[in-house]
Amino acid sequence: MFELKKVKMMRWGGDNDGGRWGGGSGGGGTGGGSATGGRTFTFLPAPTSVNVRMEGSATMANGASIRTWSFGGGFNNDRTVPSPVFEANQGEDVRITLNSMMEHSIHFHGLDVDQQNDGVPATSFAVGGMGNSNSYTYRFNAPHAGTYMYHCHVDTHKHFEMGMFGTVIIRPTDGSTNRAWDNGPTFDKEYIWQLTTFDTSWHSGGMGGMGGGAVLQRYRPNYFMINGKDGANAQNDSATAISAGAGQKVLVRINGTSYLPGIVRMGGLPFEVIASDGRPLAQSFIATEVMCAPGERYDIILTMPSSGQYTGSIEYRDIRNGKTLGSATTTLTVV
Amino acid sequence: MQRREFLKSSLVGSTAFALSGLTLLNSKNVNASTTAISLTAEGTNKTMVNGTSIFIWQFNDANGTGPGALASGIAVNEGDSVNVTVTNNLDRDINFVIPGVMVNTPSVSPGSSHTYSFTAPAAGSYLYTDDMNGEVGKAMGLAGPMVVMPGNSSNNLYSGGPAFDRQYTLFMSDLDDRLNSAVANGGSYDMNNYEPNFFFANGLSYPDTKTGGDTLVTMGVGEDVAIRFVNGGCITYPMHFHGYHVNVVSRDRVVETLVVEKDTVQVELSSCVDVILPVAQAGIFPLHTHYVPGVTAGGVYPNGGLILMSAS
Repeated sequence: MFELKKVKMMRWGGDNDGGRWGGGSGGGGTGGGSATGGRTFTFLPAPTSVNVRMEGSATMANGASIRTWSFGGGFNNDRTVPSPVFEANQGEDVRITLNSMMEHSIHFHGLDVDQQNDGVPATSFAVGGMGNSNSYTYRFNAPHAGTYMYHCHVDTHKHFEMGMFGTVIIRPTDGSTNRAWDNGPTFDKEYIWQLTTFDTSWHSGGMGGMGGGAVLQRYRPNYFMINGKDGANAQNDSATAISAGAGQKVLVRINGTSYLPGIVRMGGLPFEVIASDGRPLAQSFIATEVMCAPGERYDIILTMPSSGQYTGSIEYRDIRNGKTLGSATTTLTVV
Repeated sequence: MQRREFLKSSLVGSTAFALSGLTLLNSKNVNASTTAISLTAEGTNKTMVNGTSIFIWQFNDANGTGPGALASGIAVNEGDSVNVTVTNNLDRDINFVIPGVMVNTPSVSPGSSHTYSFTAPAAGSYLYTDDMNGEVGKAMGLAGPMVVMPGNSSNNLYSGGPAFDRQYTLFMSDLDDRLNSAVANGGSYDMNNYEPNFFFANGLSYPDTKTGGDTLVTMGVGEDVAIRFVNGGCITYPMHFHGYHVNVVSRDRVVETLVVEKDTVQVELSSCVDVILPVAQAGIFPLHTHYVPGVTAGGVYPNGGLILMSAS
């Protein structure tokens, strides 16, 4: 039942009581069933650290099992792609420890952290591997509520593709879970749509280059997903398929965690694009589709129509000529 | 390996707008009315960061001191009369176009020259290229950036537009070594099969970008730095800034009013995007395409379209 793992980041200098994601909101873990929970993610005990999981696998709708790597929260069944959702409040000084024997890192993409905590081996350092510490606590302040990503920045073309990425949500200063940012738009429910594609040849191969890095070129994805799920798995995934009451406002955090851009649609329903890359837009606008390029994020608010079922989709585009390479769909249901 | 950086300008310590490194093809006289530029289209072997030698085409400037990379750059002032003389030392017809300025231009046959004349358009960033050979011209390297500054010598992206303390132009490009090999051997190649495996910023691949004086983006904390992305490649470039958010000023000279504050800036095919980076913190941070396969050379990471920004 755990679709999207959520890890509460510890407050910097906190009292170490953060063993649980809590905050009193309770519940909400049922995954899309409740129209009042505000969130559809599963809440899990909050570790103060994440470990590297290099023995994972993802099962595709056709039954294929794809080898994956990911960040795991230390709980059972934590070898998922995408990796867990991190969450903190605006203004918090946050920290998260990465433990790894092998060479990895965490880059907090879009959070504009300082050089020391940027997770780039060439400009800071990696964790694990020859000559590196096997543990590091990344520290940063989260100054702007919004949607971000994190990923391993070691041999990134390989490690990101393997699944070492996830979403970071920065809540408003007061931690409210029904408002996009301080004094910003409110919403009734929220979902994360993480663009995901796999080129399975990149998962099985590429290691053993000079210096130990992967040698991989010409990315040709053959699975097209939302939140790491394709086909019927995406359509039936309660953390992905949108379910809300008529007139309810649904925040969808679209996260460009594929190497391909994707055209995101809500079954033709109009929605309001309110933010991108962790910042409110200069002017929000109404659209029926938005293109999310690799590395970008878009926050949209869909106001549910009076009734019916719709098909939401992400259509992945070729970076050369814009042709559609594949799609993933899921259901949008007015309950 | 011959390489010459281009397209950086710094206003620090200078009251006038000075272009350093950019192929200095014209005077920077505010009132200059006529600018003559000579470019030679030629084939040459370029050494990649992994040591591979690959046959490319380029527009080289008249002094023979072009970037030795995949492109030369042009800088002019708004309203200038510009005469670009293209000499074709390649084995086929080419032309010279600047989308948004002049298209459907006459061709130049091998061994001959043609002068293309135009009035420097509204201030902004432009792409010039050959389009007689489909996308093969761009894929082989016949492309470069053109920067048009406001005619009043102001440090603005356009007249009345955002001011900057320094500016950099980052010309992104890519090649598929199978195409280059086919062209070098006189063979044919279908651009539908184009899948690049080498990637460049200003003709350089990381780590060469960090020693290229005009590709290492040097900044001062508190400054506003203009960065012009010009996509001269055959793929889209989603450029991600570590450490900073930037303000998107314009896309293909159209002012952006909706999605302004970004850490990842999508640069579409043949497109130019101008941004202002308010330098909010010191440090060294990468700037790279988030099509992460583009941060490689021959499949090895980190090479390719990775640039470092150094702020102090």
